Amino acid sequence: MEIDDQGGWFDTLHSDEPEKWQDALLWLKNSVIGNNKQKQNAINHGIIPRLLQWLVDGDAPQHLRLEAAIIMGSMAKGTAENINTLVEEGCVSVLLKGLKSPDQAFVESCLRCLRTIFLHNSNCGSLIYQEPSIVEDLVEIMPRSVCTQECVANILASSCKEPEHQSKLCECGLIPKLVDLLAGKVYKVQMPVLKCLAGIVRENGENCVVALTAMHNNVPLPDMLVQLMLRDRTSEMQIVAAKVLAYLCGGGALAPQDPRIISKTLPCLIRMCSRDRTLEENVEGAETLAYLLEQDGELQRVAAVSDHIIKTLAEYLKYTDVQQINRCGKRIDINWGIEMKQAAFKAFAALGANEESIRKQVIETEHLMEYVVVGLNSGNMKVAAAAIRCLHSLSRSVQLLRTTIQDHGVWKPLMKIIQEGPEELLPVASSTLCNLLLEFSPSKECILDCGAISVLVNLAARPEPNLRLNGIWGLMNLTFQVEQKVKTKVVESIGTERLFRLLSDPDANIVMKTLGLLRNLLSNKLHIDHIMGMYGNQIMQAVVFILEGEHPIQVKEQTLCILANVADGDKAKDLIMGNEDMLKKLMNYMQYQPDVSLQIAAVACISNLIWSGEDGACARQAKLSEMGVQTLLQKLLSTTDTVLFEKVRTAVQQFS
Amino acid sequence: MNNIIMERGLLLERGPVDGGVEKEEWMELLSGHHVGRAEMNKLIMNYLVTEGFKESAEKFRLESGIQPSIDLNELDDRIKIREEIQNGNIESAITMVNNLHPELLDNDRYLYFHLQQQHLIELIRDGRVEAALDYAQTHLAERGEENPSILSELERTLALLAFEEPEKSPFGDLLLLCQRQKVASELNAAILETDATPKLANLLKLLLWSQEELDKKKIRYPRMTDIATGTIEAPK
Repeated sequence: MEIDDQGGWFDTLHSDEPEKWQDALLWLKNSVIGNNKQKQNAINHGIIPRLLQWLVDGDAPQHLRLEAAIIMGSMAKGTAENINTLVEEGCVSVLLKGLKSPDQAFVESCLRCLRTIFLHNSNCGSLIYQEPSIVEDLVEIMPRSVCTQECVANILASSCKEPEHQSKLCECGLIPKLVDLLAGKVYKVQMPVLKCLAGIVRENGENCVVALTAMHNNVPLPDMLVQLMLRDRTSEMQIVAAKVLAYLCGGGALAPQDPRIISKTLPCLIRMCSRDRTLEENVEGAETLAYLLEQDGELQRVAAVSDHIIKTLAEYLKYTDVQQINRCGKRIDINWGIEMKQAAFKAFAALGANEESIRKQVIETEHLMEYVVVGLNSGNMKVAAAAIRCLHSLSRSVQLLRTTIQDHGVWKPLMKIIQEGPEELLPVASSTLCNLLLEFSPSKECILDCGAISVLVNLAARPEPNLRLNGIWGLMNLTFQVEQKVKTKVVESIGTERLFRLLSDPDANIVMKTLGLLRNLLSNKLHIDHIMGMYGNQIMQAVVFILEGEHPIQVKEQTLCILANVADGDKAKDLIMGNEDMLKKLMNYMQYQPDVSLQIAAVACISNLIWSGEDGACARQAKLSEMGVQTLLQKLLSTTDTVLFEKVRTAVQQFS
Repeated sequence: MNNIIMERGLLLERGPVDGGVEKEEWMELLSGHHVGRAEMNKLIMNYLVTEGFKESAEKFRLESGIQPSIDLNELDDRIKIREEIQNGNIESAITMVNNLHPELLDNDRYLYFHLQQQHLIELIRDGRVEAALDYAQTHLAERGEENPSILSELERTLALLAFEEPEKSPFGDLLLLCQRQKVASELNAAILETDATPKLANLLKLLLWSQEELDKKKIRYPRMTDIATGTIEAPK
């Protein structure tokens, strides 16, 4: 039947009868266009290598090469597996070489095939960079016809994910050419051009500058983009134009206050979130909105009062449908429930990043915290990551911590993610944990029971500075005004060696937080004596180490404050009094210029040492007087700084 | 063209909303509007060019002096394809389309289905039952897999085979020659890509839509009840 005939044609194609090839190719072309089954059939008959032979052979008759390219293009319109086969068999590089041909029709057929492959196979992104001339050729070919414009723009749009790629494309002068095409008003060219621009400027400051100043007929690109966001354009055009502008803002080329951003891009993105748009537009709109809002508090404020955005985003959370989409005969399963939720979480996170009033509105969203907890617990990383970002934003608020978050037990799934989840979630998850550990958080007890201390200690030992910082910061928050047994447990868990190693950390923030931790540990008289009793020597050594080393002023100030706390302990005082060198240092710091903060801290320390009414006060006062402290204090009474003056006066009053 | 639509829009606004408009007043308002000859001719030329009536477009150009928007020789390909379909030579039309626009039928599988369905209809019309079944099995089954919504259309076509005199069956309208015309227009539109509807057709759509909107709001006005003749009836 048919199959025999087919076999005949395939044999002819593989045979050595050149006069019959044209007819066979014609038959093949008509067989596979529109027919996925026939495409697969052809592949099974080994057609791809055969077609490649013609394409590679520059001397083969041009009409055969053209048909081969067209048929290849049709094969690329089949299933995802078909495209994978094409890529695996090396079609892309053959087609790219074909672009050097002088035959315009052939070049266009190769481009069409490449465009289809690149659009549907995400592994191809780097293939055009394998040889330096490919990109230049593509850019040069691009303006020739509507076909070349559309195809090259699509190919390049799929190939600019990496920073090196973005730079290479910019170096080839792509951006001005894209701008010219954008002005051409051919819709099916403008769309891939916009996508290409978006890809090329994303997170790339230099490219953003180039794009900012690119012009067509003296109209700068951002102004052109504003025109493309007008409501008479299709939604898909509005949203990509908005994306490009958002990326220009994120890349630092456009200020958030620029009217094109705050009065044009922002409202457009908010429009895209509304109910009357497609789900795809909702998701993309919310995600791009989140990106834009992260840039600036003013944008967040304006957005929060725009068009009931918070209510609109709240609706996103209710989606549960999984939908099938038919695209060119291909079925794609997209779980809209997940996509909508994660987009909403991202947008909420960005909205509530800075302002307490906005956070309040966000959290008043019905069932938001329940959705967040479900999101945290879901196995889906996209949703969990977005949920954490949302929680992180909300956790910056004190009042919310006390009330809502505790009511929902978010700490359990949060801890689970920190302990078992993927690496990429650690920074934001651990930051959230730090916030939850702030003193006024009712969650603290439960978190402790969950092994928070060991989690934080582990983080503090990580090579990544941001994780180390979160670890030590968390411990610092944890130990604020907490019971002695918790303090002891913390010191035991982290160990003095790790603690003091952190004091020499290259990151100044980490040093500050470690000092903060020490300061918290050494609060409350009883605790001070207890801890100094166990670790006094090491602590004093650490203090000396810092005071003698090169450190920023704040670090030294914190250290002196720690010393002041030590000086508050009954027995711990002796550790300082018995250390002449330390006392001399204190006296030096009392006179430190120009930064008065060190003077204040030093005087506070002295004050504690000589505090009258405590055992042994007289002896200490005598000793310090002998060293000249009292005289120094008298001198300092002439200071103009009010805080210092108060401290000095208090100290002077101790000398009975 | 836009002027005509704008003016008609104003027409609707001017009338009193509560009482509705009586036919006399309506006809007076209508006759007060003047649609320029040049605009009418542009509409007609646009229709002829879009639908691919080259000879008519040539003649009309000579008569009216209106320049067509494209080179009329470009119409040749589209005309040939349309002719093939109107003569029932679907496979030949498909081959032509694949030569001129190789991506078209891959991109628009629904259109391809309609073309294949038409071929099936032609086979049935010729009484070639076995060939029809064979064709349906080999080519159309796959369409159904890709797009389940076409199954009902497919079923209707195949059901023709169950009748001795298919033209008298409930689905007999598929065998009418205007079905060929339908497919030919669909293909023509796809080839022209964007804005393939003649502006005349858009105007008529707008008219029908406007009437529907007025009906929804329960406004009394003289309706155009017969588009082909332009008959306007008094409101009840």
